[in-house]
Amino acid sequence: MASKTITPTLPDKIITGKEAGLVLCTECHKVHRYIPDAEQECKCCGADLHQRKPDSINRTWAFLIASMILYIPANTMMIMNVAYFGADEPSTIMGGVILLLQMGSHAVAFVVFVASVLVPLFKMIGIMLILFSLKYKVNMTDRQRIKMFRFIEFIGRWSMLDIFVISILAALVHITGVAEITAGPAATAFGTVVVLTMLAASSFDTRLLWDYKRKNYKNIELKQEPAAD
Amino acid sequence: MQVVVIGRSQVINSRILLCHECDLLIENQDVCEACKVQCPRCGHILYKQKHNTISHSLAYALTALICFYPAVTQPIMTLEMSGLSQQQSLISGSLILLQEKYYVVAILTFLSSCLVPLFRLLLLTYVTLSITLNYYHKSLIWSFRLFHEMEEWGMLEVYMLGIIVAVVKLLSMAEIQPGFGLWAYAALLLSSILATTVLNPHEVWDALLDRKTREEPC
Repeated sequence: MASKTITPTLPDKIITGKEAGLVLCTECHKVHRYIPDAEQECKCCGADLHQRKPDSINRTWAFLIASMILYIPANTMMIMNVAYFGADEPSTIMGGVILLLQMGSHAVAFVVFVASVLVPLFKMIGIMLILFSLKYKVNMTDRQRIKMFRFIEFIGRWSMLDIFVISILAALVHITGVAEITAGPAATAFGTVVVLTMLAASSFDTRLLWDYKRKNYKNIELKQEPAAD
Repeated sequence: MQVVVIGRSQVINSRILLCHECDLLIENQDVCEACKVQCPRCGHILYKQKHNTISHSLAYALTALICFYPAVTQPIMTLEMSGLSQQQSLISGSLILLQEKYYVVAILTFLSSCLVPLFRLLLLTYVTLSITLNYYHKSLIWSFRLFHEMEEWGMLEVYMLGIIVAVVKLLSMAEIQPGFGLWAYAALLLSSILATTVLNPHEVWDALLDRKTREEPC
């Protein structure tokens, strides 16, 4: 089993693959020589090769702004309607959390609150902070920023929780005239917010976090010639 | 032109590693047995040396596939209220939303709780089974790439949490009985998580590219 972790020593003079004219295939992890101004494909697995993801910052901003706009209807509109013996009881996301609290299930209320309120909010603010940190000075170390980004990537999908709960409830509580749960327009908005924030995170290239310090790219001669095939 | 390789068979001859997340160039990295190599700058795991994961993964993937049909079609829960009862299965949730014309939500739930997990399991079984049987076809390469690209869109574990939250919400209102689908679903969740966590992707890439280079060098 792979148990021992080896960390090579950080070289005195840091060279990135881009500076050395190399490109890494993000799929099969092979390293190739980069051909500038050409559409390059990995010869091993066929994936498109880019030294950095194309238009990474613009795409991330676009997805982020779209998700922020949709976050407003997702929280203000009705996400679910509970019709109990003919009486409608529409609720928003926060309304659902408060209802769970009143029912006394604090743990579940906390989980729902984290997944559907905190996580999307934290994700949007976090991605924005990282994007700002590429342009302005932010009081965070490089390690902190990459850790934050990895965390954002990891938690993103858990916001789908509310959407799944609605689909389960809508299918289960479907007895006409007695009790009926139907989805509301905020469900569409919220589902889209989750997808958009996930797309924002996946279109961001983490390698840019280290690039901002080294604006002046020079092609550095490699000491060792890469092996020819 | 092939320069380097992060992998078992070729790492011996390799001289350069590039970090996936920060693009740091690491030269002259020694080979080690049974270890992980971590990027000194950002902490990303550059590569793992772990063997014989493919057959384990195949076993879990097959188990998950067997559980898939009952998990999706059999009722997960039954609700009883005022003498009436209503059943819910994984697929009926999406169908009801479709009837109510919430197309985006219906498609999103269907994709992330049924289709993507099924598709990923099929791809994983195809790749691991082919490697085990020593069979090679070009489609294996893009199959494994697709398997990785869809990783974050399969959300079986989130759905499980969804079931728990839904049960708690309904407990005060009605009586709920677990159905056969729930047990099948739990088994599906467990075996598909094991199938993906046990697998060392570097080992799969080594095996695939080894077979590929026999036909055409890359």
